[in-house]
Amino acid sequence: MKKFMFQVHTLADEEWDDFVLIWKPYEAKRKTMLTKAGETERYLYFVLDGVQRGFYAHDDGREATIVFSYPFSFSGIADSFLTQLPSRFFLETLTASSFLRAEYKQFNNLMLRYPNFQTAVFKILSFIFAGVLERQIELQCFSAEEKFKTLLKRSPHVLNLIPHKYLASYLGIDATNFSKLLGSVRL
Amino acid sequence: MQALHYKISTMKKYNTQELLETLEQQTESLLNLAVQQWQMMNPSIIKQQPTPGAWSAMQCLGHLNAYGKYYLPAIEKAIDIARIKSKPVNTTFTPGWLGNYFTKLMLPSQNNGSIKKMKAPKDYTISNEGNSDEVLAEFIAQQEKLLVLLHQSRRIDLNKTRIPVSIAKFIKLKLGDVFMFLIAHNIRHIQQAERAIAAAKASVSKTKKLAVYS
Repeated sequence: MKKFMFQVHTLADEEWDDFVLIWKPYEAKRKTMLTKAGETERYLYFVLDGVQRGFYAHDDGREATIVFSYPFSFSGIADSFLTQLPSRFFLETLTASSFLRAEYKQFNNLMLRYPNFQTAVFKILSFIFAGVLERQIELQCFSAEEKFKTLLKRSPHVLNLIPHKYLASYLGIDATNFSKLLGSVRL
Repeated sequence: MQALHYKISTMKKYNTQELLETLEQQTESLLNLAVQQWQMMNPSIIKQQPTPGAWSAMQCLGHLNAYGKYYLPAIEKAIDIARIKSKPVNTTFTPGWLGNYFTKLMLPSQNNGSIKKMKAPKDYTISNEGNSDEVLAEFIAQQEKLLVLLHQSRRIDLNKTRIPVSIAKFIKLKLGDVFMFLIAHNIRHIQQAERAIAAAKASVSKTKKLAVYS
């Protein structure tokens, strides 16, 4: 986690020592619902093992997969965590997962205490925001084939890690189309 | 001697939590196989019959899906009702004689390592036509659902909750029995699917070799 944090922003020893104290280990089995829509996100997660999925469930039963998280990165419903307002999204594990997790209150206390910690959070959020906007381009402009190729380039390992139904949902293409595109890269 | 063995085996009690843990792990390993290996396999391998008329891996999965389609909603409904009634959880589970018989029938290890061949009911035999990706996706979705149901069952009594049997709805089995034979049935046909895939791969490499030498 230190490596992950410090490549974005360096914390002073004292700040880092206090930061480490707020994290507790947490384990979840496959298909565990970590956060439900309507609940307020209590935790920020740091993924040590496994894959998770953030998704939106539409009234008509359709689901939109918004984000995947895997090691080593942060996870959790970010907007609900930061605003402490009810989440519109669900967060579930797609494989058995292990995390470190921190409660909002303790996280917020650190932000209030250390301006430099705020700077680190600001920088991380800036990268996340850039990522969200980039995905917006892909979703609106890219053809199914381009989206598929981008996924292969960025994270080829997900093809035998995540059920393809969720990958198709993440790309916003239907399952039949996804399996056609898959035909070109299969053994 | 035979009768005595039968009596002991039917009397066997399980620690509920340990039983559910084992069933979850078994389901987890089937899911890993499907997600990590079969998803990326060429459909021609998944659809190849080892010998004419013998099931391809896709047909094995389709057969399991047909049962899941009946049992998973039935189990979900029974769990929902049991949760509303909120009866106390039983720390042990004792298989019923019929449920126990079904489970044993499914497991190769229980029949001196040999597999008792059976003929599937007509409604549960699927053709080798169609898209193997769809069949595999359905299998994965069902196994994920099964994991969630196993998890929810930790808070209900596996002895008192009952499920009607697919081929004879007037017979009701204990939920614990249904989980045990359903998962034993899954393992049985996943092993069959693995053999079909191994045979398909072997025949592919044989064809390739022939192509090189001819």
